[in-house]
Amino acid sequence: MLKLRLTGHPRNEHPLALPVRPGGFLPAAYAPAAAAAGFDPAKGEALRLDGALEGRTVWLIGVDSSHAQGLEAAGALAAASMAEAKQGVLDARGLTPPEIGALAMGAGMRAHRLPHYGAEPPAALRQLELLVDDPAAATPEIERVRAVLRGVGFARDLAAEPGNRLAPTKFADRLRRLEKYGIEVEVHGRHWLERHGYGGLLAVGQGSTYPPRLVVLRWPGHGEGHAAPVAFIGKGITFDTGGISIKHGPGMEAMKADMAGAAACAGAILALALRDSPAPALAVLAIAENATAADSYRPGDVLRMASGRTVEVVDTDAEGRLVLADALHHARGLKPRAMIDLATLTGSVVTALGHHRAGLFGNDPALRDAAMAAGDAVGEPLWPMPIGERHRTDLDSEIADLRHCLPAGGGGGGWAGKFLPDACHAAAFLREFASPEGQESIPWVHLDIAGMDLREEDGEAGPYPLPPGPSGFGVRLLDRLVSDRFEA
Amino acid sequence: MLDIAFAKPALPESGALVLPLAEEDLGGGLVAEWDKLLGGHVARGLAAAEFKGRKGQTATLFAPGGGLSRLVLVGLGKREALNATAVEAAGGTAVTALGKEAMASIDARAITGWAGAPADLALGAVLRAWRFDRYRTTEKPEDKPRLSAIKVLCEDPASAKAEWASRRAVAEGVFLTRELVSEPANVLNPPEFADRLRKLEKLGVEVEVFGQKDLEKLGFGSMLCVSQGSAQPPRMVVMRWNGTDTRKRDSKPVAFIGKGVTFDTGGISIKPAGGMEDMKWDMAGAGTVAGLMAALAGRKAKVDAVGIVGLVENMPSGTATRPGDVVTSYSGQTIEVINTDAEGRLVLADVLAYCKKRFDPAFMVNLATLTGAIIVALGHEHAGLFSNDDGLARRIEEAGKSVGELAWRMPLGEAYDRQIRSDIADMKNVGGRPGGSITAAQFLQRFVDGCPWAHLDIAGVAWGSKDQPTTPKGATAWGVRLLDRLVAEHHEGQAAAQPEPAAEEEAAVTGEGSESPAVLSEGTEASEPLLPTPDLPARPGTEPVPPRPARRPATRRPRR
Repeated sequence: MLKLRLTGHPRNEHPLALPVRPGGFLPAAYAPAAAAAGFDPAKGEALRLDGALEGRTVWLIGVDSSHAQGLEAAGALAAASMAEAKQGVLDARGLTPPEIGALAMGAGMRAHRLPHYGAEPPAALRQLELLVDDPAAATPEIERVRAVLRGVGFARDLAAEPGNRLAPTKFADRLRRLEKYGIEVEVHGRHWLERHGYGGLLAVGQGSTYPPRLVVLRWPGHGEGHAAPVAFIGKGITFDTGGISIKHGPGMEAMKADMAGAAACAGAILALALRDSPAPALAVLAIAENATAADSYRPGDVLRMASGRTVEVVDTDAEGRLVLADALHHARGLKPRAMIDLATLTGSVVTALGHHRAGLFGNDPALRDAAMAAGDAVGEPLWPMPIGERHRTDLDSEIADLRHCLPAGGGGGGWAGKFLPDACHAAAFLREFASPEGQESIPWVHLDIAGMDLREEDGEAGPYPLPPGPSGFGVRLLDRLVSDRFEA
Repeated sequence: MLDIAFAKPALPESGALVLPLAEEDLGGGLVAEWDKLLGGHVARGLAAAEFKGRKGQTATLFAPGGGLSRLVLVGLGKREALNATAVEAAGGTAVTALGKEAMASIDARAITGWAGAPADLALGAVLRAWRFDRYRTTEKPEDKPRLSAIKVLCEDPASAKAEWASRRAVAEGVFLTRELVSEPANVLNPPEFADRLRKLEKLGVEVEVFGQKDLEKLGFGSMLCVSQGSAQPPRMVVMRWNGTDTRKRDSKPVAFIGKGVTFDTGGISIKPAGGMEDMKWDMAGAGTVAGLMAALAGRKAKVDAVGIVGLVENMPSGTATRPGDVVTSYSGQTIEVINTDAEGRLVLADVLAYCKKRFDPAFMVNLATLTGAIIVALGHEHAGLFSNDDGLARRIEEAGKSVGELAWRMPLGEAYDRQIRSDIADMKNVGGRPGGSITAAQFLQRFVDGCPWAHLDIAGVAWGSKDQPTTPKGATAWGVRLLDRLVAEHHEGQAAAQPEPAAEEEAAVTGEGSESPAVLSEGTEASEPLLPTPDLPARPGTEPVPPRPARRPATRRPRR
């Protein structure tokens, strides 16, 4: 976690980064060197100048102002540039508090150090002094940035933990630690789940040595009266082998992050608590390991879900929607004013939208628009996707109320039948539990973040580069959505 | 096509009677009226069949009296939810419920609220009754569908007939498309496709055909690299319908561009065998543009429209393009071909650039069965809609909703565009699996040169694996009606809002998928010289392109 400090006077000789906007002012001391090096701020690149400012190394940081997240990207670039020095100064004079906040946010996102179990963790900036005209004026903004960065960092750390270090039980233990921030933590174990018939979550977790958990986090808020909370629902598969429908070997290690949705929900609750949000919020996290074992659930099994619906299992690797279905049902019982679920749910959404937008589904246009706007504002963009009539009828089962997905290649005959709109099918499945017909309708959106949860080496995703590993996608979006829509 | 007639309500002397009913109509005056004429059979039948009028519900009563062979009840659902699409669906459902009847009357009086309702009912029936029959040689006559005529009973047959004229023209366009799409690739190769499009001249469409040499001269390096592995030469066909007033001829036309890969093996990047037979319909975009031009000309739309199709066959052979080859497109931009099975965009790239340069249209809409990824994204209910123009995209979405051909907007953006950067050329033709349909759209966008543009990826909607109310299994002609509606609602000025009552002699068209694709009506007398074609090099006459007719068919002017 990057330490951020606001200051009017830098106290030491650490490197200094100077954000430069295209056409912006460049101090006379740097101008000739910048010109000689062909420095073009619009390209969003950094230029190192040694000897231009007494003993300090100076970094000129180009700000690509054509980009909505240009300043944040500049902050990230500054942090990356000064990583070896571990400490640095960012010259943010002449900027407004929100602009200073954006720089700090970018630096914090870039400098975050993920868990590393080797002897030499990669270098990262540890402490950043923000040189500003009026530290007091920028303090509230920086407080907020710190809170959000803590939440994002919490989510990223969890998602980065390997499956052997973050089994469902361990995950629940880590969440228990959130109690010290004023968050109520309720953990339901296997016996409770069996007693209450959470057949989806139990089936997915039954092959694992580590039993599943349903965790509820509550931030009470401090608004007037007893406003209903907003609910985040997260998929928390601590490792996904695919189960009996086992996945192919290559790339399976990334499945340790198949709990990124749950981690993002928890991170968002932490951020709300740290910045003392007035809005009550809760998170329902369905946590299980999808293991391949003698006791695993099988394709063809019929499950009775928490809501009472029966589901035919087609592919055990489509486990996320099963645990989410039970979590959504649980969340409905807590009478929230809105439900937002996050899940690394389908490969289909990656084929659809790639690594630049997450899929957005739901039953409520207003909430959908608000989620879109929040995502755009924080550089975690979404794109609305349909749940069509046929997506639902495709799920008709011959033995149960519905099946949870279609078999591979089961989209009808011919060339087109090889392709399945699985992200839409998953959303249609979830709708049966989030928004069951004939029951009170609660605004609900579903974010399929499968393409967005991880950053890869050299992979171009997100508004600016982050170190390879979990991105914490969703924490900032949820925080922003709450502050835009639920804190009024 | 079924014979459609409109008449005042009366008990038919024979044949079948279809009675569409909303849920609220049970026990109403309409039921009572027929019940009386048929001696109480209707009320008894309604009860026995537990007919509730639910949407799509049907009940058949045989020998219901009055000399009728059968009475078919078709549910319309709730009256408040009734719209043109639902009425068309009822018409289509009626056709399937009529079984082996040859003649039927449909009472349209349960549908009220808009003047075109009886015609909508007829349209649904006609669209559903279509069948591609050309290659069934051993089917016994008694097994063939027999329905040949439908009489729609309504209060105002004259106005219904007037409403029908434009719908009929659109249905003819739909049938042309369905037929082209259904044809196997050994019959419908690029030259044959072009020949069939020439027949649109009879409707008053100007048709220009470009052959191999013409395209080489123009510099269509991108499109030609797709056809070079095939024994079949490529064709580009430019169809122009000039339906506006002469004084407005300087206005920009609207343009429609279609991908016409008459068969797509994938080329050297050959496809797996399973399901490859479906690749005969990889020309559905071009087929749709052809049908649209037939529809616009058939109903004398007051619009200047250009339709251009790029027709090629994508085959693996010793002369085929290899992965890694670099080609220079008509626009001058170079393309590294990574995957020869991403050929549709290579065809469209040249056609789009050519269309923009030659016609500078008000907008370009292209249709293409472009990616499997769009099916993974959206499935089969929505086509993917990509556009650089929000207004155009919204109008397309709305037109689609009103005709039951849904389109779903998908994103574009610089981040996606970066996925098709090449190390050796200006771009590569694939951007990897993530966002596969989006990167295809980004590729196309590089060739539209700032023109307002929309791309419809119709891979999931061009072919239906099961019967739908107004579309039999197979070629759907998705897009013909949507784009016809787009033109009708936004590009035909005030007068065009009501389609002009078409004269009887118009559009005597195909008979149930037999013989020629479109036997179309003759154009009228010549009126004015053709416009010069800007930026177009003189057409060389070297390629075996059929010579132009000495006297060009004239564009038919609308009456004023």
